[in-house]
Amino acid sequence: MEIQYIGENLLPGKIGQFFIILSFCTALLASISYYFATTTNLSKDALVRAGSDGWKRIARIAFLINIAAVLGIGSSLYFIIYNHLFEYHYAWAHSSKILPVYYIISSFWEGQEGSFWLWMFWQAVLGFVILRKGKSWENSVMSTIMLSQAFIASMLVGVEVFGFRIGSSPFILLRDAVPGPIFQRGDYLSLVTDGNGLNPLLQNYWMVIHPPTLFLGFASMIVPFSYAIAGLWEKRYTDWVKPALPWTLFAVMILGTGIIMGSFWAYEALNFGGFWAWDPVENASIIPWMTLIAAVHVLIAYKNSGHSYFTATFLVLISFVLVLYASFLTRSGILGETSVHAFTDLGMFWHLVLYVLTFLFLSVIFLVIRWKELPITKKDEETYSREFWLFIGALVISIACLQILATTSVPVFNAIFGTEIAPPANVIAHYNKWQVPFAVVIAFISAFSQFLKYKKTEPKKFFVSISLSLLFSLFITAGAVYIMNIYTNVMYIILTYASVFSIIANARILGDAFKGKWRLAGSAVAHIGFAMLLVGALVAAATNKIVSINNTGIGFGDEFAKSNNPRENIILYKDEPVKMDRYTVTYLGDSVQGVNTYYRINYKVINEETGKIKENFTLYPNAQQNAKMRQIIASPDTKHYLFHDIYTHVSSVPLKEEDHEEHDGHSDDESYEKPLTYEINVGDTVRFKEGYILVKGINRDAKIQNIPVGERDIAIGLQLEVNSDGKVYPSEPIYLLKEGSKFDFGKKVDEKGLKFRFTNVFPDRNKLELMVYQKPKPEKTWVVLKAIEFPYINLFWGGTIIMVIGFLLSIFRRNKEITQA
Amino acid sequence: MKKSSIAGIIIIALAIGIIISTYADSSTYGSFTDAKKSESELHVVGQLNKDKELFYNPQQDANYFAFYMRDNQGLESKVVFNGSKPQDFERSEQIVLTGKMVGNEFHASKILMKCPSKYTKDEVEVTEVSASTAKI
Repeated sequence: MEIQYIGENLLPGKIGQFFIILSFCTALLASISYYFATTTNLSKDALVRAGSDGWKRIARIAFLINIAAVLGIGSSLYFIIYNHLFEYHYAWAHSSKILPVYYIISSFWEGQEGSFWLWMFWQAVLGFVILRKGKSWENSVMSTIMLSQAFIASMLVGVEVFGFRIGSSPFILLRDAVPGPIFQRGDYLSLVTDGNGLNPLLQNYWMVIHPPTLFLGFASMIVPFSYAIAGLWEKRYTDWVKPALPWTLFAVMILGTGIIMGSFWAYEALNFGGFWAWDPVENASIIPWMTLIAAVHVLIAYKNSGHSYFTATFLVLISFVLVLYASFLTRSGILGETSVHAFTDLGMFWHLVLYVLTFLFLSVIFLVIRWKELPITKKDEETYSREFWLFIGALVISIACLQILATTSVPVFNAIFGTEIAPPANVIAHYNKWQVPFAVVIAFISAFSQFLKYKKTEPKKFFVSISLSLLFSLFITAGAVYIMNIYTNVMYIILTYASVFSIIANARILGDAFKGKWRLAGSAVAHIGFAMLLVGALVAAATNKIVSINNTGIGFGDEFAKSNNPRENIILYKDEPVKMDRYTVTYLGDSVQGVNTYYRINYKVINEETGKIKENFTLYPNAQQNAKMRQIIASPDTKHYLFHDIYTHVSSVPLKEEDHEEHDGHSDDESYEKPLTYEINVGDTVRFKEGYILVKGINRDAKIQNIPVGERDIAIGLQLEVNSDGKVYPSEPIYLLKEGSKFDFGKKVDEKGLKFRFTNVFPDRNKLELMVYQKPKPEKTWVVLKAIEFPYINLFWGGTIIMVIGFLLSIFRRNKEITQA
Repeated sequence: MKKSSIAGIIIIALAIGIIISTYADSSTYGSFTDAKKSESELHVVGQLNKDKELFYNPQQDANYFAFYMRDNQGLESKVVFNGSKPQDFERSEQIVLTGKMVGNEFHASKILMKCPSKYTKDEVEVTEVSASTAKI
């Protein structure tokens, strides 16, 4: 029998699903129409060419409907999440009623489907810009963009075709997604009271803004890709570079910003204690960024000298293919055993593979077909020319990127070749071993190539102009490595020298810019930022210091103590200061705010001679306690100084027990210590651990709720007064003799953990029997924490901001070049 | 020779170097039996034995966490980790340890857990409201 479900709101889902299908069809139609608009326009036959405009009109209409459909999908999904329609799996899995509105936005893109939508949305926005500004490039460029749009839309379809489910729809119903007996009931919705909620680690303001930025970066990489394809397709080999260049810079800037935001989120909200961990998911996002950065440099070289055409085209093309490869890595579940935060497979493994391969083949085919016509110079570049070193710089970046790609792809090799290679045991050392030398070379090139001219430079002049900077950098480096305490490692010194050289050389270029040579300002600023970023990352990563080193734990055998791992966690008891490094650290207590418990950790730096407090601050690392799961989810808190940060997170805290209700077979008395029985009379005092109890008197007319006291029954109340810590708490346990049987009704003083029972009356001795129950004294509260000092980390963050400003300046400049042309 | 050809040769040389390095640095997946034979660190994949006690008592030592894990061949071993108990540890479905055998204990330098994600955890939590009973 068909079950009649009550209370479901199916309309928004149906509308949303309709928009998904619509967006897929219109994207495909737009792509095909733009394709014909391009090919007909290339025809020699004037009559065929005239048909191009007709195709273009169809394509534009299809694209505008596509934009509307994409907005429709987003609105439907937002409506569902915002109104807590838990009959939809997506809302149930990613949100809950207690989420504030700004986190509802994050829950929107917590799942794969939502993040695909985000990608699609940005692609639509970018497409719209091309439609308005693309001019003669619109047809060919949009044809590729719309193909990608159709692919992403197909990821959301979620319809079964020939037994295969294509894509995963965000509008699938809970009862279709999850098996469960409760769906046999028509009124199941009344039992599903709340959703799973948003992963607490994502409940951070950076998570509201990081995914949209990152996806705008990924999405915008399709634009240079499409221009490169269009250049090959329409044989406009030279023309495409000019309009593509600002787009390439834009993609690099936005993706770079997105990655750094993620890094900052990791630093602020996660407790792995750092800003970069060489996790495969992080690597996946930085790989295309690096190839596109390399592409920017050779594009400029080609534009100014005619050299490096193939390298430029290849790097632009491969960058977008690597974006797709990155999304395959993170979304297909292939990283399984190597990454902490990749998505699990939603059954789209081969779908994603197809997406990557389609765009890879597209690139390869166009390059192969046009190979003979490509404007590849036979002439050799001059050694003392800027284009040569731009080319070399791009190659070094590409090789650095190849190294990251090779190690990150180990699980893919395993899957293809059936091998079982594990990632390096010490991942960070493995990457640093390669990336530090690459960084040195890149920093040097970014410095001296600024002093080279295109075509040919007089070597003598060149060496004169850089030698001063080289010498000057030497002194600064000597001072810097001494202050920053990294002089023990040769490689660190060399990297610092290279970076300092780059900062100084580019600062000189920037100085010239202020004198009127504005053209190089953008690149000078970006390179200064990059060099600062390198130094900052180096120093923070090389010299960060665990403050909470602990040698007080009771050993577990010599064998264990011998292991060379530093003992990084330390236990703090409440109000007992512990000396850690130069800090005196005290755990002051905790407070609960919503789902989070904030631990007050006070840091003091005290001058040992004078006893004066030099620094005094309190950090509030927090943890979400989940008593049911018996786990905590901790987030750090950081004190930011100009030259260093103090970072603290709790690694373990006593779990708060859930207050369980009294129920049968489980006596309330179990939570107390063994009772003490006293024979007392009015006026007596009874001592307990934290004070005394005064027997004030007897109430012969006690009343008991719900139980009528008959004429022959006796109900006596014992009036007690608990004195403790200068406070007085009255209490009156009751003794009842009803129809010859004895009963007693205990009373509690919860503030003091006391319970009293008035259990007997001995008229012969003129004594009363009082039983005193006391709860065991609560254990000393404690937290286990880890504290790290990050020196000079602001160089890293500051460098990234400066670099982004540099990109922005360059975009303005390159954009102006188009309009001037 | 053209300079770009020289650059090409250097690239190929470096690429070979990278591949060798990736392979040389790479570790292997193995079992506890393999770990007993091996001197170097390796990766062991397995499941937490939830029947046996997890030992973490920060008041005694905040940097000692011990548990029992069964590797994929079913062999069980005690595992010791020099740090605090990772969050969410009990819920882990699969554990990847990096470390080596010391005596009869596996000393892990890194623990990577796979916890059931929202997609696989899909169990609807049902809360049924029951009539409140009268209490004295």
